Amino acid sequence: MAEALEITGVSASPGVGVGPAHLAADVMAEVPALLDTVAAEGDKLRHAVATALVELEALAARSDEESAGILDFQIEMLLDPALVEMAERRIIAGHGAALAWFGALNDYIGDIEQAPDEQLRARAVDIVDIRNRVLSALTGRPLEDFAPGSVFVGKDLEPSLFLQHDWTAGGGIILFEGSVSSHVAMLARSRSVPMVVATGRFEVANGVGVLVDANDGRVVVAPEDQQIHEARSRTNEARPPAPSRTGGVIETVDGVAIRLSAIVNDPFELKSIDPSSVAGIGLMRTEFLGNVFDQETHYDIYRQALDWAGDAPVIMRMLDLGGDKKELGVGAKESEAFMGRRGIRLLLALPEIARLQARALLRAAAHGNLGVLLPMVTVPEEFDAMRAIFEEESAALGRRGVQTRMPEIGMMVEVPAAALTLDRFSRSDFFSFGTNDLAQYLAAAARDDQSVAALYAAATPAVLRVIAQGVALAEAMKKPIGICGEMASDPRHVPALMAAGLRHFSVATNRLATIRSTIGGMYSDGRAAAEMK
Amino acid sequence: MDNRPRREAPEAVDTQGYCQAEIEVTHGFGLHARPSVVFTRLAKSFPCTVEIEVNDSNVWLNGKSIVKIMGARIRRGSILKIRARGLRAAEAIHALKALVERDFDEEKKHGRSA
Repeated sequence: MAEALEITGVSASPGVGVGPAHLAADVMAEVPALLDTVAAEGDKLRHAVATALVELEALAARSDEESAGILDFQIEMLLDPALVEMAERRIIAGHGAALAWFGALNDYIGDIEQAPDEQLRARAVDIVDIRNRVLSALTGRPLEDFAPGSVFVGKDLEPSLFLQHDWTAGGGIILFEGSVSSHVAMLARSRSVPMVVATGRFEVANGVGVLVDANDGRVVVAPEDQQIHEARSRTNEARPPAPSRTGGVIETVDGVAIRLSAIVNDPFELKSIDPSSVAGIGLMRTEFLGNVFDQETHYDIYRQALDWAGDAPVIMRMLDLGGDKKELGVGAKESEAFMGRRGIRLLLALPEIARLQARALLRAAAHGNLGVLLPMVTVPEEFDAMRAIFEEESAALGRRGVQTRMPEIGMMVEVPAAALTLDRFSRSDFFSFGTNDLAQYLAAAARDDQSVAALYAAATPAVLRVIAQGVALAEAMKKPIGICGEMASDPRHVPALMAAGLRHFSVATNRLATIRSTIGGMYSDGRAAAEMK
Repeated sequence: MDNRPRREAPEAVDTQGYCQAEIEVTHGFGLHARPSVVFTRLAKSFPCTVEIEVNDSNVWLNGKSIVKIMGARIRRGSILKIRARGLRAAEAIHALKALVERDFDEEKKHGRSA
């Protein structure tokens, strides 16, 4: 028997699955020997598209709301005549309907795969799904499904294939490429199907037993019983009956505990994160709530986040308008750009908005572990003015008999003047580095200006030095300090941030798995442990 | 065919059924799957033509085509110009601009994917 082969990837949906490998076939269009006329090939294609639409609509009708939303996108794509037109140009050039469709869609998929951001790249597989469904209608070959209980192994997995498959018998998903933000990853998380992505291509024969250990982002081909047993028992240990935050604390190789929290941009992201996998929410933005003038909207969303988090901390950042965020029309003027009246400066200039948000935060704080983060603080007077607003609003609500609690109030460390003098901010309960702004102010290079982007990126050593100084000041004051800037979501920067003394990282939700495995593989001083183990 | 005077102002309206607006995409994930569905469905509900241009590319795409809009790979922070010509053009521009400003009503659809 062949020796077990172990491969590392990235966990996209936690859990452990074992089953025979189902190797996805590469879909290839066959060139029919006899071509009909151009008009007949065009008709065949339109007929196949109509068949695919009927199938998708039937599948959507028996799916839950989230799945139907994903299929809605595919349906809308197929309803658009532009896809058939792209293929028709190839039919006119002499291709059969199947090959023309395959080629045209592949070109389009290739473009999407080159997109600058992962969220858009992750949509390419939805279009692969459309391509295969129409192709199947054209060639009469049924869409690939596989035996219940098996482990799907392939480059990527199409959402409709996932939805048609029976997952009740277990199994799992291993993708050579794939993305944690793909639609199929969302579906896998919502159905608790273990899934590991980004393993790179590896050899495995159809039907060979495979272990998907998606708690560790690990795949074992031809595992021994002992390995299966260990992976399963670790799952049981990791999921005690009481809610636990074990996933939010990572131990470095030398045993130092590092906290990992989520950054949440939109409340709908909460659904895709398992609360037990993080130490809470390290930063939730509030600019994107919709109507910022409605206190109840604020309150409802804060409550949603607190209910999601249970007893774990949820840190809400007060409205950070201005700069690149031009909601409300405020901050749109040149003078209110990056170095003008933004963040806390704007909140103190528009006290009615600040007070409305403070009231919603004070009320929500009564229902969980809420912290408040103030953006763009430069001098202690700004911090004190905002704290006074909270105290006044708390007293006013109390007089009316409204239940409130004073949250911990901390500040973003993103203005160099504040970063260098944290010891002056004795009234702040905690600190969090916002490295996106800190870097642009230290380099005097706007982060949205491509002509100076290289300078902005090259300012990293200066940022790290300021962070190390800030950490030392905060430690002397015995105040918690963390980081919520983009640097913390980039595995290349994590070693230096650890070396600078940071022990609390707030990370974009789609980067959590990567950063977790990065931190778990190093010493607390930032050295990699891989070679020494 | 069309030689009417046009202004490149953020929002230009004339009485001959031509209207144009400019707006920044502020939604967290840019104009992706669900936002594209919502945008094109709204565009298709108007009888006028709707076209969009991304970041001064000088390429005008059919705003009713989700295939074209996805292919344009619009990110957060992109500047969109939207123009409409024909019946109810001003109304169409007003509604589409408001939709982008409301971040495609994403906050009302918790749990729906982007």
